[in-house]
Amino acid sequence: MDERDRTAGAGRNDESGDPMSTLSALAARMDPVPPAVLEAARATFTWRTIDAELAELAFDSTFSDLALAGVRGGELGPRLLTFEAPQLTVELEVSEVGDARRFVGQLVPPTAAELEIRHPSGATPVTADELGRFSADRIPAGPVSVRVVRSGHDPVETDWITV
Amino acid sequence: MGDVAGLVAAAARGDQEAWNALVSRYAGLVWAVARSFRLDDADAGDVSQTCWLRLVEHLGRLRDPERVGAWLATTARNEAMRILRRSGRQVPVGDGHELDVADASQPAPDRGVLTAERDEVLWRAFESLPARCRALLRVLMADPPPTYEEVSAALDMPIGSIGPTRGRCLERLRKNAELAGITVDAGDSA
Repeated sequence: MDERDRTAGAGRNDESGDPMSTLSALAARMDPVPPAVLEAARATFTWRTIDAELAELAFDSTFSDLALAGVRGGELGPRLLTFEAPQLTVELEVSEVGDARRFVGQLVPPTAAELEIRHPSGATPVTADELGRFSADRIPAGPVSVRVVRSGHDPVETDWITV
Repeated sequence: MGDVAGLVAAAARGDQEAWNALVSRYAGLVWAVARSFRLDDADAGDVSQTCWLRLVEHLGRLRDPERVGAWLATTARNEAMRILRRSGRQVPVGDGHELDVADASQPAPDRGVLTAERDEVLWRAFESLPARCRALLRVLMADPPPTYEEVSAALDMPIGSIGPTRGRCLERLRKNAELAGITVDAGDSA
């Protein structure tokens, strides 16, 4: 068997007395996955879309920011994200405003479009002008995906990420 | 443990039951990765939700559907780091704060006082380990147990170092637990 596929932990029902099985059972008592989290995970299947192209995350300033900021965080400024679909790029700048987020974005090539900023509790409609510029305030922190509808094109949806 | 690639393919075709089977299989791993970064209930919930939302959109385009567990572990790791980036947050360095995780669950009604106390003591001994040991063991404790590849993806750690590090960390845990008055068989490092 490929070593990568060997089990590194031990099941709770492992009878060998392996300490990992003791710890697995402990974690199952002390920190199980909350039922609401499991239910939400099953329910995410309803978000499945088959009509849209996916704009994959191509750049996220998070990781270079973490490297530069070191252990003590500080003002990091807005976060920069780039999502790429074959014929559309979505540039996003995300700023924190308390528990909410402000989005400033740019579509490339520049084009007018109707957008939806999707989050688990709903969707915020936004319009991009003829230069492809858009902005939105009071987006809840958490998972988010931008859906872009341009006339004459299939919808494009960005990879879900946490903001 | 079943045909994972088959479940992914069925879910990609719209099969909710296949999706639920994937959730049953990997929700524990995703949660464990989020907790290994010391995220609280709300943030760990966000990590979980983002992972599954992202997977829904990638079902038909995974390069290696058989390895979706490692894909989820990598995604959970990246999402946890995104949450840590938020201003004012620090990368945790294992300085305590056991209670926020211990408070997240209630003892089962039929558990004796001694069992509950022992659990709490052992859990605190685990929580007081250095960050890297605590993170590794937390991921290893996932139910069902992760593969070496999934652990490697969750922690950005070479597969070959997992076994030896696990052994050293279990030994440290045994010592921490002894100091707190309970014995744990640390086994060997195989």
